[in-house]
Amino acid sequence: MSALRGRLGARLGPWLCDAGVIVAIGVFVVWSIAPLVWLVLSSILPQLSLIARPPQISPVHWTLDNYVTVIGSAAALGQGMLNSFIVASFTTAVALALGAPAAYALARLSVPRSDAVVLLILATQMLPAIAIAIPLFIVIARFGLIDTRLALIIVYLSFNLPIVIWILRGFFLGIPVGLERAAAVDGAGVIRTFWMIVLPISVPPLCAAVVFAFIESWNEFFFALILTRQNAETVPLVIAAFAGQYQTVFGQMMAAAVISIAPVILLAILSRNHIVRGFAEGMLKG
Amino acid sequence: MAHVELQGISKSYGHVVVCRDVNLEIEQGEFVTLLGPSGCGKTTTLNLIAGLDDPSSGDIRMEGRRVNALSPVQRDVAMVFQNYALYPHMTVAENIGFTLRLRGIRKAAIRARVEEVAASLELGDLLGRLPAQLSGGQQQRVAIGRALVREPKVFLFDEPFSNLDAALRLRMRAEVKELHQRLGVTSIFVTHDQEEAMSVSDRIAVMHHGRVEQFGTPEEIYASPATRYVATFIGSPQIELFTAVIERNGDEAALRIGPARIDLPAESYPGLAEGSAEGSKVEVGIRAEHVALADRGIAATVRLVQPVGPSTHVTLDWEGGTIVARLNGFARVERGSRVHLDLDTRHLLLFDRKTGQRIAAH
Ligand SMILES: Nc1ncnc2c1ncn2[C@@H]1O[C@H](COP(=O)(O)OP(=O)(O)OP(=O)(O)O)[C@@H](O)[C@H]1O
Ligand SMILES: [Mg+2]
Repeated sequence: MSALRGRLGARLGPWLCDAGVIVAIGVFVVWSIAPLVWLVLSSILPQLSLIARPPQISPVHWTLDNYVTVIGSAAALGQGMLNSFIVASFTTAVALALGAPAAYALARLSVPRSDAVVLLILATQMLPAIAIAIPLFIVIARFGLIDTRLALIIVYLSFNLPIVIWILRGFFLGIPVGLERAAAVDGAGVIRTFWMIVLPISVPPLCAAVVFAFIESWNEFFFALILTRQNAETVPLVIAAFAGQYQTVFGQMMAAAVISIAPVILLAILSRNHIVRGFAEGMLKG
Repeated sequence: MAHVELQGISKSYGHVVVCRDVNLEIEQGEFVTLLGPSGCGKTTTLNLIAGLDDPSSGDIRMEGRRVNALSPVQRDVAMVFQNYALYPHMTVAENIGFTLRLRGIRKAAIRARVEEVAASLELGDLLGRLPAQLSGGQQQRVAIGRALVREPKVFLFDEPFSNLDAALRLRMRAEVKELHQRLGVTSIFVTHDQEEAMSVSDRIAVMHHGRVEQFGTPEEIYASPATRYVATFIGSPQIELFTAVIERNGDEAALRIGPARIDLPAESYPGLAEGSAEGSKVEVGIRAEHVALADRGIAATVRLVQPVGPSTHVTLDWEGGTIVARLNGFARVERGSRVHLDLDTRHLLLFDRKTGQRIAAH
């Protein structure tokens, strides 16, 4: 009897294990997607259906009115998207252009105490934002950069560069040195080795860094709030403005939010393919 | 083509000493092999010669010039890496042609040269593939191709055939040797396969624990090993060693191994007769081909008979331990039969028990 149960257990074991994994993944997916679903749902419901108790979410109430209103009326959203796009793109581009060579130098060239240097670079991120907000404001103001995109780019760079360096250095350290030695024998100096060998095989972490830096800059609210007035206002500020003094137009706010996350999701999907394919092809085999 | 010299090269990583006072003088156009067991420092030595690593002390000279501070490119070496180190994002053709591309050679010329090399390595059909889509042996051939595509001053091969099947390995061996004879480029080859070393080299450096135990022609290494280590490392079947006591009777010298007594030809061992005290112990070895079976002599019992084709290895038990005899062809020997050993005493190898150095015969 117990032997039978043992055999049954052995057969059920893997199945239960699979089921457990599936359930866990399911919970995680629901957990991650639920807010998004709610966001989209709120953007296509009229204000009354939304604030009813319980909310009336059946498809008969669905409408695109919020989108029509937001796109039609708010030039601010367009301007915000443009600002965000410029700021996020520049930040990302510069973070990679500076971060990748820096990470490579810290991983491979004989930088004294490179571990300590990296820790120090990361340590700059440990200050709470509020602690540096006022000094930062003063500095930016002195340079006359308040309400400019440049100010945001500079500030976001200071956040993203350390993380980008950290992500990429970790990857570069894992590249077998044999590749670079082979390149050295083949006749490539440090720069060509970096450019022709190291960077092409680092597409996955580069994509990860791009996604990270872009999203961080796209979503950032606090410093944008402090350092801009109107001209350089980014998307999060525009969305926040829907929360008016007398009423909050939830539906329009959510519609604006949905529009604003579209580019980020697109970017994530595009680079996800790169990231996954890079690892799946075993780029670093051998 | 270059004369390469290692003068007192040592290399340590932290406390780990990997190379100890390595001295090698490699003639221009010579084919030299670094031979030794895993971990003895072969790759490290090759990296030092290539300029991929700096020696802790000592000088490396090429064409008489000290090159310690020069990069691999300045030294103009080409190298086959032990673990291939193929560029994973480049096709086979791009891998092989990369070094030419870096040298700014025209695309058409690169393609022609790459195709030529690939054909000789039977890679012609694989030029468009990525390394991840190749078998281990194919990857290794690409690694070889990457070195052969140009004509450097020195070729460095780090176990280039370790992953090839037996037939291909023999062919590549012949191919590399012929290439060397054709181009005459100084070549330094690393292997732990003694037969491979014997068959391709002008001279062999036998390494052990980061030291060069002996540097000589294959014949010298085989017939006159400088140390006990070299004697046991080289040769198949492996040489057997026995402890023997020296007995002297006037000018005559003999070895006593257990109850057996072997007379030494006095003319061969003057040094032994004079220098060694009566009763001192030495280690004695003899290669299988110098052991024959006879009607009279030292008694032994046949334990194992292993025909290998051109010869038969017969393992025998005798008073001194076990010994292997190599007999011609398929020898008709019964397991368990009682036989007698005939040792060719001219080829006995005697070693100092403490230092492992050979007691030279003259
Ligand atoms: N970077 C390093 N740091 C510390 N120890 C090292 C380093 N490189 C090599 N060694 C050590 O040096 C010794 C010799 O290594 P090496 O690679 O030269 O051996 P090898 O003769 O090529 O062996 P194999 O036949 O296995 O390739 C080994 O014991 C190895 O552990
Ligand atoms: Mg090695």
